[in-house]
Formats: sequence, structure tokens, C-alpha cells
Amino acid sequence: MQQFVTLTIDGAHVRAVKGASVLDVAIEFGICIPHLCHVPYLSDLGACRLCIVEHVHDGRSKITTSCTLLVQEGMVIRTNTEKIRKLRHNIAELLVAQAPNSRAIQDIAVLCGVKEVRYPFRNSDCVLCGRCVRVCTEIWKAQAIGFVGRGKERRVDFPFGVRPDFCKQCGSCVMLCPMTITPCEGPMKPGEEHLCGKCESQVSAAQTMPGACVWCELGKGFQCARYV
Amino acid sequence: MPRPDHINDLEDLRMQLSAEHTHFTKTLTFCGGTGCQASGSLSVIDAVKDVLSKEGLDKRVLVRVTGCHGFCEQGPIMVLEPGNIFYCHLTPDDAHDIVIKTVSKGEVIERLLYTDPVSGTKVGTEAEIPFYRAQDRQLLSQNRLIDPCSIESYIVLGGYRSLTKALTEMPPVAIIEEIKASGLRGRGGGGFPTGRKWADCWAAPGDEKYVICNADEGDPGAYMDRCLLEGNPHLVFEGMMIGALAIGARQGYVYVRKEYPLAVKHARVAVQQARELGLLGEHILGSTFSFDIEIARGGGAFVCGESTALMASLEGKVGEPRPKDVHTVVDGLWHKPTTLNNVETWANVPSIIMNGASWFASKGTKGSKGTKILALTGRVKNTGLVEVAMGTPLRTVVFDIGGGADNGRAVKAVQTGGPSGGCLPVDKFDLPIDFEALAEAGSMVGSGGMVVMDEGTCMVDVAKYFLAFLQDESCGKCVPCRLGIDRMLEIISDITEGHGRPEQITLLEDLAETVGETSLCALGKSARNPVLSTLRYFRDEYEAHINQKRCPAGVCKAMVEYAIDPEKCNGCGVCRRACPHGAISGKKKQVHVIDPETCRKCGICQSECKFEAVVIK
Repeated sequence: MQQFVTLTIDGAHVRAVKGASVLDVAIEFGICIPHLCHVPYLSDLGACRLCIVEHVHDGRSKITTSCTLLVQEGMVIRTNTEKIRKLRHNIAELLVAQAPNSRAIQDIAVLCGVKEVRYPFRNSDCVLCGRCVRVCTEIWKAQAIGFVGRGKERRVDFPFGVRPDFCKQCGSCVMLCPMTITPCEGPMKPGEEHLCGKCESQVSAAQTMPGACVWCELGKGFQCARYV
Repeated sequence: MPRPDHINDLEDLRMQLSAEHTHFTKTLTFCGGTGCQASGSLSVIDAVKDVLSKEGLDKRVLVRVTGCHGFCEQGPIMVLEPGNIFYCHLTPDDAHDIVIKTVSKGEVIERLLYTDPVSGTKVGTEAEIPFYRAQDRQLLSQNRLIDPCSIESYIVLGGYRSLTKALTEMPPVAIIEEIKASGLRGRGGGGFPTGRKWADCWAAPGDEKYVICNADEGDPGAYMDRCLLEGNPHLVFEGMMIGALAIGARQGYVYVRKEYPLAVKHARVAVQQARELGLLGEHILGSTFSFDIEIARGGGAFVCGESTALMASLEGKVGEPRPKDVHTVVDGLWHKPTTLNNVETWANVPSIIMNGASWFASKGTKGSKGTKILALTGRVKNTGLVEVAMGTPLRTVVFDIGGGADNGRAVKAVQTGGPSGGCLPVDKFDLPIDFEALAEAGSMVGSGGMVVMDEGTCMVDVAKYFLAFLQDESCGKCVPCRLGIDRMLEIISDITEGHGRPEQITLLEDLAETVGETSLCALGKSARNPVLSTLRYFRDEYEAHINQKRCPAGVCKAMVEYAIDPEKCNGCGVCRRACPHGAISGKKKQVHVIDPETCRKCGICQSECKFEAVVIK
């Protein structure tokens, strides 16, 4: 039999299935927490850090990712404080400066309120969200791709850089990849990378009720779990 | 050697072993730690042993090769007991004199004595050396009495007595209460209360539990864990056994980095010897307690010093941290409750059990008890391992023990806590070595690294160095650490290369806070410290770099210009010949000139010039 716990998210008392993650529960209840590496049917990595929330415990608040935090009885969560918004904005800014050539990343930047990018743009092809690696490993049990290298050299690759036989070219990795969704105006040329920001109107409805999901179009771009 | 099958047998064995050593009238203690070995101690030891056997003294004089004493800079070193005579910088040629003059006749050889760099006088005995005198060496002092490859020498000195006490007199709860009452906190960097960690692990559900000793010490310049594991492995094992007894573990792991071959070797020898004596294995000393230790070698990744990454590595996976929303005391190695402590933390346990919590708590401050080993390096006269009571002011360590700056310049700052720590300026030197006090000042006790910097150090360059280290060692899993540190380094590199903009300081602060708050593991969380602490105390240096394009310490190459002082140059031509870029011109016996266009600022001319004519503008 399913067991339930009650927790508080942004002041709302929420009844959730024991074992669920805070992110899943929040999204189900229409609370907007931006996320990138989280995919509902895959394990959680805690890599993108966009879904950070404040977990208030014993009078102290601790910042942690909601995708890896499991619900507990009496838990108090704040998803939309000024501090969280600022940190989320900074992470989104780092992401969009690294890989502006993706509608998904641009949409996340808009959602997190990035208005200008204070770093020189790079034109990276991968943000190492690990969606492809996890779908290949967990759903298809193929392990045809994985993370290679450490730190700056970290990348997704085939074993020893050669596509193995057991990669059936199913395309799941491509389907989940946020970098395959090009910006609306087509791919940006090297040297012309910029912050798009054309979809800012999408978040105008959310401004009157901060933190609430308004079914914005942006979510489709970065494959928000609410649309899956 | 008889195998002790009962707890009382260990005492008998101890008496028997100490009786065996009475025919030695003198003891020559040589340091055989990695530092002294690198300075050639092994050949000195061989030479001394040769002379001793030629002179027929080898039956009366004991040559003991021990682990590190901490004064590595003076190596190879030797102490003769009785007499406490301390010799340093030994060479194999000194062996004859040592045996004939000092050992046989009791004469002190002046040239081998230690010279105090502060006063310039020779110091006769080890106890009088200022470097040692100001310390409180609870753990390190045992190193020079113990041969790490001999369990006998550990047992003779009362080894495994704490274990028998714990086995006979203390139920697990009492052990945990004792550790809790002692106020012992993790020595690896986090400073988490050890007793609380044990209690949580004890209370965690599950029959299978593990203890792990974290010896994956990776901070540049720090080697306290190596010194303990290399010099006194049984002390660490005894601590682990007591911990295992308390939480109910049957298996322990020592995770030691592969760059410490001597520590790995000594730990393996020690495990073998303990197993042979029945101190590890099934039914230890005839009790119901069974426990074994396995030595695991790490691959040399800094991030594997983080507990979850270490556990992943032990499991044979990639050494990457995972979120710790459920603590490792509940969900650790192979998802079993696991207690992971640093080498130094484990080494503190036996003496707490033996002497009681109040003895341990009598040293230190309100929140930080006991002693802490620090690795003192940088621009001080005396470098090496230093053990002081918690609460000792930084000033005492830098000036009384370290002897102040080594080159006549003034000390400017001290960097505490390794790459993730922060830099504290001289006016903060009255701060005590205390977890809270240093954290409040923007640095940390960390694992105990302590790098002293003088006026010739550029603080922006220091921050850049540590960021480059952290960027290199980041696993790359989470965005703030991978991209955040990279961007911080990009900004600081801009500043040191003279392209800095005033608004970048605010950006740097903002970014450092984000990286610190949101990173997945402690590597990223503490990566803000080198940036924020230098910004807090040495903001003027950042501003000088940005606004005036000037490096006050004359370190950042992009902002300095080499020139030849015409008053001092006598035209010898050494610099002209040494310059690899052909940037110096001048006729013989005439003043030379550096062409700033061609000069690559390598500094070779400056180090070659004997007349100090090459200056930095």
C-alpha cells in the first residue's frame, strides 16, 4: 500500500507519496522549479543544480537540489526565495554563456530571469546534463555512451571513442538532448552568440504569482517534466 | 612471538617484549620518513650500521628507523638517546664520526648540530630546538619512538591497550559517549563532531556496517596524514578498531592515495603483522569482536578525498561525489551505514579512550578540542609538521615555531586549510586555530595546511593558483563547480594579465557565492574561499591590478617590465648571453639595455645578474 507524507512547499501543505522527490511533487502541484538534467523516468544526477531549493530544518536553511531530495514527513521547503532566485539566475547565466546555441538553454535563461550575460560567450555543444547517458544506461541498458574525462575535459563519448555494436542507433540520446533544439532563428554562427530573450512575454503571467507554473511555452523547449 | 589468545595475554606479551630490549644501552633514532629518505637518510643509516658492526657495538646500540619527525627541512636527522642529542643534514661520511665520537665517547660534533636560524646559535639537544619547544606533540611525538614496520615496538609502548580497555570495560554506547564528551571533531577539513557521526552510524539500521580511514590527502604541501600512516600505522588501526567496535562494523578500509608508496607499504606490513598476532581477524584477543582492515589505493584524484567520491572509488566506480541528502552514516559504502574519518581523527581515538574524554577536552577552545597537526610551509625559516593545541594563535605558529619570514621581508599573509582555505592577513594573526574562528574570518582549519606568504607574493596570483588547482581537480559533474570555477579563473586571469574591469570584482564575488552555495560537494562549496578571502583582505591589490594596471608585489608578468639599472650594470654580459630571447644588447664593459618589445619577462637575466642590476619596474 502506498504511504503518504505531508510536507510544506512554499507555505502550501502538500500530501505526497513517500519516496517521491521534492521536485516531482512540486511540479505535480503546479509549483515551478526550473530544471534541466531531470527527466521523470530516469534516475537523478543532481548535475545542473537549477532545481535548488531551501530545505529548512532545525531553524537552519540548507540549499540542496530538489531532484535528489526525497520527501519526508513535516519537511519545510522554500522554492522561490530571493536567494534561490539569485543563485538560479547565476547558474542559468553560466549555462547560457557556455552553450547559447540551444533553444532549451535560452528558454531556461529566460525563465530564470537572465537579462544580460556577464561572461564572454562560448559555443559549446554539450552542457553535460547526462540525459543521453542515463537513457542509454537505464532504459536501454546499452551503456553505449558514458562520461569520459574529468573536470574541463569531461565529455560524453563512446567507449574508446568508437561507436560499439551494441549502440542500435535508437536515437533516444538525441531525442532527450537539450542541445539539439536550435534557437528559433536558426543556429548562431561562431562569434555571433547572444542572449535571445524573445520569449520574455511567456513569463509575464508568472510575475503576478511567482513560483507558480503557468504552463508557459518555455517548458516545452527544455522538456519540463510537466510536459512529459 | 606467542600469539595472544586472551586479552590478558597482550600484557604478558608486552612485558616479555620490553624485557628483550634491555641489553641496548643507547638508541640511535633515524627518521626514515619520505622527506628524510628523499634527502638520503637510507644511505646514512646503512653507513652507521656498517660502522657499528665493525666497532662491535651493534649488540649494545639500537638503530631505530622511524617515521617522520616533522622537521623534514633539516633531514636526514638523527636523535641519540640518552642525551637527546640532535644531528641534522647528515651524510654517509658523517657515520664514522657519529659512532666513534658521539656514540662511543659521548662527544658532541659541533658541525652536525642544528643552527637556529633566528638567533644563529647552535642547539645541543632536540628538546631545546625552538621549532619543537613551542609545540604540543601528542601524536607526532610517538613517531620518533616507533618503528612503523614492527608491531612489537608499538606494543612495547603501550599499544593496543586502549583496545583492550574498550573490549573489556566499555560497551559501544560508553565508547561513543566518551568520544562525544571529548569534543573530538573531524580533522580532515569538515570539523564534524566525531562522536555524533559514530552515534548516528550506530543507530542506523543494518547489520553490515563499515569504517573507512580517509588517507587520500591531496592538498598541495600537506602531509600530516601521510606522516601518521607512514610512521605509526597501528595507532590509526587501533582507532579504527575502537570505532568499529563502537558502531558494530566488521570490516574497515584504509583508502590511501597511490602517491604515498611508503604509507601503503607500511600500512600493508602493519595489517599483516596485526593479523598474525590475532589483533585483526576473527575473535580478536579471544573476544567476540571480529574485524579486518583492507588497504585500498586511490588513483590520485583530489576529489576522491570527498567521502561519497571516495566510497564510489572503493566500490570500483568512477570517483565522483553524489548528493548527500541521506548521510553516509546511513547510506554509505555499498549503501550500508559507514563511518568515514580522517587519519588524524582515528589516531586521536586511542588516547581519548585511554586517558578519558576530560583529558582530551582540557586542551583547546570551547568548540575545538585537542591538538591539530599543521603542515607549515612557504616563506618561513622553519618548515615542517607542527602539532599545537587547538586555540593556539596563528602568530605563535608562524613566528615562534616557524621563526618568521625566511628572507628578511615581512610576512604578509598565511593561507590556511589547503586549496579550499583562505588567506588571512597579518592583522588577523591573533586568531586562534579554531574551526569557528577561522571559518568566521573566511578561511578554515581544513586538513591543516598552512602556507606563509611574504611581501613578494601577489594575492591575486595566489587566488589564481588555487583556482587553477581546483579547476584541474574538479570532477566536472555539476555546473557551478565545472563552469563556475572555470569562469572565476577566466576573470582572475584577465585581471592578472591587465585586462581587468572594475565591475569584474562584483561579478567575482557574486559568482564565488553561487559556486559556494550550490555546488554538489565540498570541493566546489569551498572553492569560493581563496577568492572571497583575498577579496576581503587584499581588495586593494585587485584594485591596483584593475585600475592602475600595476601588480604591487611585482609578480604578474603582464604588469611588470624588466630594466637594467645603469648605475649598477658593469657590462659583464652575463645577462646578454643568458637571455633566451635575445632581448638584451650592449657592448662589453658598457651598460646593457633590455628591449621591452622582445623581452618575454622570463626573469632569467635577473637571477643570473650578480650585481642586482636587473630591476622590475
